[in-house]
Amino acid sequence: MTKALTLKGRDYDTKMSLGARMWKYRAFYFFLLPAIIWYAIFCYYPMYGVLIAFKNFKFNLGILGSDWVGLRYFRNFLGDPYFWTIVKNTLVISLLKLFCGFPAPIILALFLNEVRNVRYKKLVQTLSYLPHFVSWVVVVALLTKLLSPNNGAINELRQAINPNASSVFYLGEPGWFYPIIVLSDIWKNVGWGSIIYLAALTAIDPEQYEAAELDGANRWQKMGHITLPGIYPTIGILMILSLSGILNAGFDQIYLLQKPSTLHLSEVLDTYVLKRGLQQGHYSYSTAVGIFRSVISMVLIVTVNGISRRTSEVSLW
Amino acid sequence: MSTVNIKHKGDRLYYAILYTVLGLFCFTTVFPFIYSLVLSFNDGYDALRGGIYFWPRKFTLENYEMAFAHPQIMTSFRVTVLRTLVTTVLSVGLTAMMAYGLTEKKLPGRTGIVFYFFFTTLFSGGLIPTYVLYRQMGLINNFWVFVLPGLFSFYNTVIMRTSFEGIPAALTESARIDGAKEMTIFTRLIIPLSLPVFATIALFVGVGNWNDWFAGAFYIQFKKDLVPASTLLYQLISEASFESSMSTTTGQMQMNEQLMMAKATGTTPESLRLTFVIIIVTPILMVYPFLQRYFVKGVMIGSIKG
Repeated sequence: MTKALTLKGRDYDTKMSLGARMWKYRAFYFFLLPAIIWYAIFCYYPMYGVLIAFKNFKFNLGILGSDWVGLRYFRNFLGDPYFWTIVKNTLVISLLKLFCGFPAPIILALFLNEVRNVRYKKLVQTLSYLPHFVSWVVVVALLTKLLSPNNGAINELRQAINPNASSVFYLGEPGWFYPIIVLSDIWKNVGWGSIIYLAALTAIDPEQYEAAELDGANRWQKMGHITLPGIYPTIGILMILSLSGILNAGFDQIYLLQKPSTLHLSEVLDTYVLKRGLQQGHYSYSTAVGIFRSVISMVLIVTVNGISRRTSEVSLW
Repeated sequence: MSTVNIKHKGDRLYYAILYTVLGLFCFTTVFPFIYSLVLSFNDGYDALRGGIYFWPRKFTLENYEMAFAHPQIMTSFRVTVLRTLVTTVLSVGLTAMMAYGLTEKKLPGRTGIVFYFFFTTLFSGGLIPTYVLYRQMGLINNFWVFVLPGLFSFYNTVIMRTSFEGIPAALTESARIDGAKEMTIFTRLIIPLSLPVFATIALFVGVGNWNDWFAGAFYIQFKKDLVPASTLLYQLISEASFESSMSTTTGQMQMNEQLMMAKATGTTPESLRLTFVIIIVTPILMVYPFLQRYFVKGVMIGSIKG
């Protein structure tokens, strides 16, 4: 009785007609309206725009007015002499980043979790977030100077150790491309990535550690039996996210770091779409390549999430 | 309480290694910035001899004088500041409306509406259909291409909604009983109680805009007065890496002429570039450490619920 009074009839919703309920909550539709319109224009209209891939798109004819060509551009892409190189590069870069980059924030978080000096910990954390807040353009500008063959710090260091060493043009050297991609990716993201693991670590009940200490567990036993199991669910969620982003090798970084001399290793799906589409004007072809990528990504995230939900109860939705 | 007394030798070694490794980690994080900061305060020609890492050898402010007197650099910062302010204000307001709209669990059709928003995180039209849309809307070579596409993000909405849901329902209910309209509840109750999350989203959107170089590089063509700072820096780096072979377009011609002029003073293209980097990075550096407590919370919510 009192509950019904304080809720002022909100519990009787189910007895109202749909129209009456919608009218009752009309204010919330009003709040959602700008978002609904924006999503229709900026997300759903481009989805409708994927029709471009099945047409011979001409700007003056519009999306509907252009001629249908069926799957011609998809076949063209599968027959593209660069197809395998691009798919291989995309996967290689993503997998390298996954294997090397995924554990890095976990390790940083485990290290930070051991630090007892609060101010030192806070300082390290604040500094570690810094690279996340600068753009890849800035990072590449910094790298260009650091790795420059003309008195860049790294070449100078090498020559200080061995005066006979010749300067290396790291950014143009194919053999250095993947190491630079992986290391700069870790450099930029490790601090930010550690936030979520640190949160999971602080959520572990300290009593578990006390109990383990009473049982005589050493530092490594505590880490293996309490700390790591405590963050397994977090690791799982982030692993799903990373696996489903496997076709997203990191556009900004790769586009800004690739040079003509490294193209055979650095051309990925995203950079190829940009070059063929925006720079050369092959709109329909690039859209087809883009769809190829989006569809595989979507299938991947749904599959990985499904498998994970069934086997470990860790899932995104 | 497990107060830690460093009493064992093993412990002392353990902590020594731990603190050193983290110290080295900080050094690698910060050094590239220090390096370019130092070089930006050093004479450009003197810097060509190398050997400058932690302190300028031939101190000068000429790089900064040059940068601040450079018309294109200044125009680009005006564009960047303007687009960042406009997008951040609009985006935070609209995201808050969207998030508040999603807090009402009994809203008819809510599940469908949430899916309508969520689906866009799984599948998108891609670059070319988006470009076609912008062209059809007249956004190419238009200032609003910096603002409109970045107004909403599902991730930011989830962070805000979670924060709104943390406000005790009793507060909004009692306001409703007092006859307050939803709009009043939103502006008088929800917004004042959610300033930390507003700061977080403002930081995310603001930094994203400040750093965005893509829109300026590909959706702005031959309009120098609409090129943002990040895009200009991108053009400077790619110009440097492709040497002079790229210097045919008007924007880059001007840049080159300007850099030629620079040769009279103690400024080189490289020292000017690094100065530019420092100018771009400084505003971000001044803001993010103070919002740390809030955005850390935001990230946690975003990754748990997102």
